[in-house]
Amino acid sequence: MSMADQDTDKPTGMPIEEPVAEPSRAAAAPRAEASPRRGWRARLRTGLARFLMATLAGLLLAGIVHIVTVLSIPALSQRDAAHAYRDLGAEGRAELAPVPGGTRGLPAPRELDPNAVTAICSYDLSAGPMRIVARIGSLPLGLTVHRQGGGVIYAITDRAAIRGVLDFLVMTEEQRDERIAADEEGETSRELRVVSDAEQGLVVARVLVRLPSDRADAEALATSVECGMAN
Amino acid sequence: MRILDLAYILTLGAGLGLGSAHWAVAGRPALGKVEVGPWMAWPRSGSREIDPYMRAYLSRGVHLPFGSGEGLELIAERDSEGQALDGRCRYRLSGVTPTTRGWTIGITDGDGLPFRLTLERTSFTDSQIVRPEDGQIAIVASSTPEAGNWLPLPASGRFQIRLRLYDTPISSQTGETRASNLPRITRADCR
Repeated sequence: MSMADQDTDKPTGMPIEEPVAEPSRAAAAPRAEASPRRGWRARLRTGLARFLMATLAGLLLAGIVHIVTVLSIPALSQRDAAHAYRDLGAEGRAELAPVPGGTRGLPAPRELDPNAVTAICSYDLSAGPMRIVARIGSLPLGLTVHRQGGGVIYAITDRAAIRGVLDFLVMTEEQRDERIAADEEGETSRELRVVSDAEQGLVVARVLVRLPSDRADAEALATSVECGMAN
Repeated sequence: MRILDLAYILTLGAGLGLGSAHWAVAGRPALGKVEVGPWMAWPRSGSREIDPYMRAYLSRGVHLPFGSGEGLELIAERDSEGQALDGRCRYRLSGVTPTTRGWTIGITDGDGLPFRLTLERTSFTDSQIVRPEDGQIAIVASSTPEAGNWLPLPASGRFQIRLRLYDTPISSQTGETRASNLPRITRADCR
């Protein structure tokens, strides 16, 4: 029975397969007709997805480039005030900042108040701390410490003067630690220590010129600021 | 195709990244700006907590900003009604200034430089102005001469008014200052 069934199945099976194959080929024909349209759509979809992914990656990269650029400008800039005025104040006294149209070859500070006199003293802490001593006068005087790479790390005005003198030291963190270690036991040091995280920078003295006739006094006051190596 | 993708990503990243960075630090950044009435200030530019955009802007040129405890610079590009300052108009500066050791008020161009005018009067200090009975300030800014405290303006075009306060307590709390504590800028008329 089983043999007969198998025998009968085989011959019947074969002819059945043949007609099945025929319609399948017939069905494949319309599918083959639709495939260019569908392929084109699929290709468009993958292309679009790829474009979007690439755009997203590009935007991500742009964000990284933006942040890295903005953060590295201060470190890379050679046109900032700290570079321009590196040689001012080498004699141990603050020197007047160049004025617009001056002949000293140095660029004038931008956005400067024409009613103020500015004197500059650059510092380099690689050799040791620097001491700033300023005697106050009758005109408003402000002293600021600008670190190289941007940022004012300290500002003081003549109202904080003790017995008519402003006196402070600019030093690096290590130099401060050394000084603290060298301080005498149980005795508080009276010196004012300003820590600069950059070794180079500028000390800027600004004096307001209330009346045009005060200008000579203001210049004398601003350039009387002493900046020398601390001992 | 892969190379094309990579080239596209790199071009987009570098172009957009560098372009936006340049645009962001070409002028004073909007980040960290404090606006009080018509006046704008960047109080953190003179402190250790300076934001990266201001730091980048300042290091692209020779800038010596005020220290936080030293003073404050306020810049106005618009009048108190919000209209851009124009050299063809006449402006009145009135009201009071915050407590300060001294102040100066000046007319500058967009880069902070004084205009080259025939009359060399680009600014006033607090000691140079004539005050009315109430002790407030009364300054007229116009391109044609005026009686009293007159600041000459360029004949036309945009300009800025810069108010610099020396040794003022508001430098640390600029954002809490009310507009009534700063001078008003009123447009009187225009040509």
